[in-house]
Amino acid sequence: MYLRILKKDLKRKKTMNIILLLFVILATMFAASSVNNIITVLNGLDYYFEKADMSDHFVLTLNNNRDEIEDFLNNQPNVKDYRVEEQLFFNDTALSSNGKKLTELKNSALLLSIDNGKLNYFDKDNKILNEVPEGYAYFTGSLPTKADLKVGDEFQTKLGNTELTFKYAGIAKDAFFGSEMFNNPRLIVNNTDYEKFTADEKVRENNSGIIFYINGYDKNTLESDLSDIPSVNFNKGISIVKTSYIMNIIVAGMLLIVSVCLIIVSFVVLRFTISFTLNEEFREIGVMKALGLRNSSVRGLYLVKYLGIAVIGAFTGLLLSIPFGNTLMKSVSDNMVLGNDNALLINIACSIIVILIIMLFSWRCTHKIKILSPIDAVRSGQTGERFKKRGLICLGKSKLGVTKFLALNDVFSSPKQFCVMTVIFTVCLLLIMTLANTANTLSSSRLLPLFGAQESDAYITDVDMIAKIMTGEMSYNEINEDIAKKLSENGMPCKITSEALIFPSIEANGKKCSPAFTYNKNSKSSDYMYSEGYAPKYANEIALTTPLAEKLGVSIGDNVKITIDGKSDNYIVSALSQSMIQFGESGKFHESTNIPDEMIKQVLGFQVDFDDSPDKSESERRIEKMKDILNTEYVTDSDGFVMTCIGEGVKDTINSVKLMVILITAVIVIMISVLMERSFISKEKPEIALMKAIGFKTKSVIAQHIMRFAIVAAFASVISIALCSPFTKLCINPIFSIMGAIDGVEYNIKPIEVYIIYPIIVFTATLIGAYFTAIYMKTIKASDTSDIE
Amino acid sequence: MNTAVLEVKDLCKTYIINKRQNNVLRNISFRIDKGEMVAVMGPSGSGKSTLLYTVSGMDKMTAGSVIFCGKNLADMNENDLAGMRLDDMGFIFQQMYMMKNLSIIDNIILPAVKSRKNNDSHKEIAKRGRELMHKLGISEISENDINEVSGGQLQRACICRSMINNPYMIFADEPTGALNRTASDEVMEELTKLNENGTTVMLVTHDAKVAARCSRILFIVDGNIKGEYNVNRKLSLYERERALNNWLLEMGW
Repeated sequence: MYLRILKKDLKRKKTMNIILLLFVILATMFAASSVNNIITVLNGLDYYFEKADMSDHFVLTLNNNRDEIEDFLNNQPNVKDYRVEEQLFFNDTALSSNGKKLTELKNSALLLSIDNGKLNYFDKDNKILNEVPEGYAYFTGSLPTKADLKVGDEFQTKLGNTELTFKYAGIAKDAFFGSEMFNNPRLIVNNTDYEKFTADEKVRENNSGIIFYINGYDKNTLESDLSDIPSVNFNKGISIVKTSYIMNIIVAGMLLIVSVCLIIVSFVVLRFTISFTLNEEFREIGVMKALGLRNSSVRGLYLVKYLGIAVIGAFTGLLLSIPFGNTLMKSVSDNMVLGNDNALLINIACSIIVILIIMLFSWRCTHKIKILSPIDAVRSGQTGERFKKRGLICLGKSKLGVTKFLALNDVFSSPKQFCVMTVIFTVCLLLIMTLANTANTLSSSRLLPLFGAQESDAYITDVDMIAKIMTGEMSYNEINEDIAKKLSENGMPCKITSEALIFPSIEANGKKCSPAFTYNKNSKSSDYMYSEGYAPKYANEIALTTPLAEKLGVSIGDNVKITIDGKSDNYIVSALSQSMIQFGESGKFHESTNIPDEMIKQVLGFQVDFDDSPDKSESERRIEKMKDILNTEYVTDSDGFVMTCIGEGVKDTINSVKLMVILITAVIVIMISVLMERSFISKEKPEIALMKAIGFKTKSVIAQHIMRFAIVAAFASVISIALCSPFTKLCINPIFSIMGAIDGVEYNIKPIEVYIIYPIIVFTATLIGAYFTAIYMKTIKASDTSDIE
Repeated sequence: MNTAVLEVKDLCKTYIINKRQNNVLRNISFRIDKGEMVAVMGPSGSGKSTLLYTVSGMDKMTAGSVIFCGKNLADMNENDLAGMRLDDMGFIFQQMYMMKNLSIIDNIILPAVKSRKNNDSHKEIAKRGRELMHKLGISEISENDINEVSGGQLQRACICRSMINNPYMIFADEPTGALNRTASDEVMEELTKLNENGTTVMLVTHDAKVAARCSRILFIVDGNIKGEYNVNRKLSLYERERALNNWLLEMGW
């Protein structure tokens, strides 16, 4: 008999059962894909690095001193093993297509023979690249996108006197140099092609370079043990490589927030739907009880029904979760190998958990069966008791039109169901707002202080100009003066300053490391921001970032030993600050500290402050003029400078994630609106028919229903706007703190985009979903009042 | 000469269920004049309610014509019909349907607030609603929830709602069907009073006692009017009921 009752129930309440099934599918899809993505993201780099066979430490030299380095490594007791990867370094002038430069490259590129590769490199399908056909080349990084290369396109590579034509074979993934921040593209070729280049003596002399991948016994001390390695260009531990993926981590972190929000949305909706559908069953429950069925039997009947729906829904959701999860992860997996070996198991486990949660919800909701009596069958589930006024507003006293009144009254009368929708829409809106605030902050001058820079009229970030300091062609002072002179001669008198980066060795409490220190003799230390303490006042005072101070075990007032160019001095830590340079581990010297000009090997860029303090539009005009004068594209404003410091591809990546999240959110909002409205129509069919019977036009009834969604969306918008800033800080500050901004950042909230455009998007999506579902009310006739049970 | 409020000619209504044609109403013709109170009686499934819903424009006719206050319902679209139901007709249903999120008074005044028939303010409409409730003896429940009142009170509230726009005609589908005898008598008392004050009423009922309060009875069997009976309202209610029962027996009731 149970089976017959169940069968009848499933058939008769088809609409609500289908809606519940759809919500179960959504919940499983979101939960399974999100949990999988969370695990993938959290294990992301470790998984990738393990697959790529990365080492604990990396040393790069262009100085033909392989033997010297190998001797050093062989004598280091902490060095367990090391691999040597030979390659050729070149800049963007070496790459061309049809006589034109293939693309602009800010950093050096590397040419590697696949046979020489000491790491695992991956193709776009995350398969290890084992061979490259002769005449073909794989590219890592964003170069192919920039150069608009399609598989099979031909391009030329010229090193020394040797020029070879390659066919582009596809994208490859490089764990070491592939991050957006390092962004040193590698050209991976066949060994025969590689040997054609190395046969050229000029190439061997000018382009040879070696990367040492070193593993240690004690990974914690390996970096300080290797800090005295002779004459190398790069000498860092895996932590710096890991943190170079920070932008991918930010994007992944955003996906994590998206995933958490999706899980919240799905379970809120599920809880609501189960409770909602069960409330519709009071008549049947009352009748069954009147017929003498026991509570447990009635409860069992509904539990079996929900179990059936949960199992079918969870299985379908499980199947859909795989492509959905992959779509979400695509934005971060373009230059990373992400995944986890237990993806399917996790999806299955999540689906089972969803079923268990549904059963838990059902168990709790069906608890009500005990208190429903046969009289509920007669009284339509109402007890007739009321302890407070149903609605807050009275039609007789209201000045609103009928449709508006009814919509508002419905919302006030059933706050619970509309609260659920408000929560969902608020979560969706906050999600988009948070991502937008992050994307806008990452491309704004708000981050300038975190890169140790001051606001200036223009910034020059040309690598060739910076390289003149690195190569010793010009000194730090000479190049600053040279730029100022050129601009002055062209009618733009100005002051040129630059934040120099120095990498001294710093030691305290027996701990040693080589962090980056900023130094600017033309600006005052007191003009910078500090978290604690006071700005360095004297030459022997320094500011350290909190993570660096913690690493060295020092605090304000403590002494540290700093060695610059072989000369050691004691410095007092006067302040703690936050910075995103070297991912939060950096320091700042006082302007009067004696730093020899020749010690300055790197600058963040050249800051230009015009003497006449022009307005923004004039500065923009001058920036264009400066590009011609200095013959470089890399002159920018403060926003552009921040982008350069962070990595230029980051903004595009975050914007594409933002767009994807907007689309997903819009689809979710539409789906929720559709399913909710369909539930309401199903529940309110008697009232709809009655309204039509007493003379309401169909469009009035549709308008009333849509208006309820509009009210909810408006509420959600107001709440989201109020919570936007604190929610952004709550979710994104931890991500920025990984980058070094441990005290949080000042977010760039664009009011029109965040407070107007996004609420309008959610509002419109809600109304579209509600409207197209509400049209169904046309099929409910006034005469249906006679058929209502 | 009496004015016809409702004139029905050759009305047919056919439902198609599972590809089978079901002729519920077959060439029905009758007229109801202003001030009449007409009951439609007949066995279950004879087409009484379908007739009521079709002539009131809630359901579409298959053929024939229904002229209500000079307008042919067949020529009107859904919106016009809705407007007519709102302004010129009143409805009372067996199940006492009301909007559950509104109080009794708000339910009663809802059609008046929606109607553009007059430009009264919401306050004035509410005042009119309360007056109607007072007349029907239910003023004490005006602010109550629909679940807090008895069936008789609720049905009287439905009568108030049907009256709020001063309609030409009230259509009632078994208005006492869900009520006990006392409540049923109270409700019919009110409907009779309304009719005596000039409102035309057409109601569907199974109850001879209810029908005996009307001026005319239409007896339907299988979608056809099988007989028509004029009630002598000069007789006492008891005598009318007895005479009607006799006629119904003749009709095969």
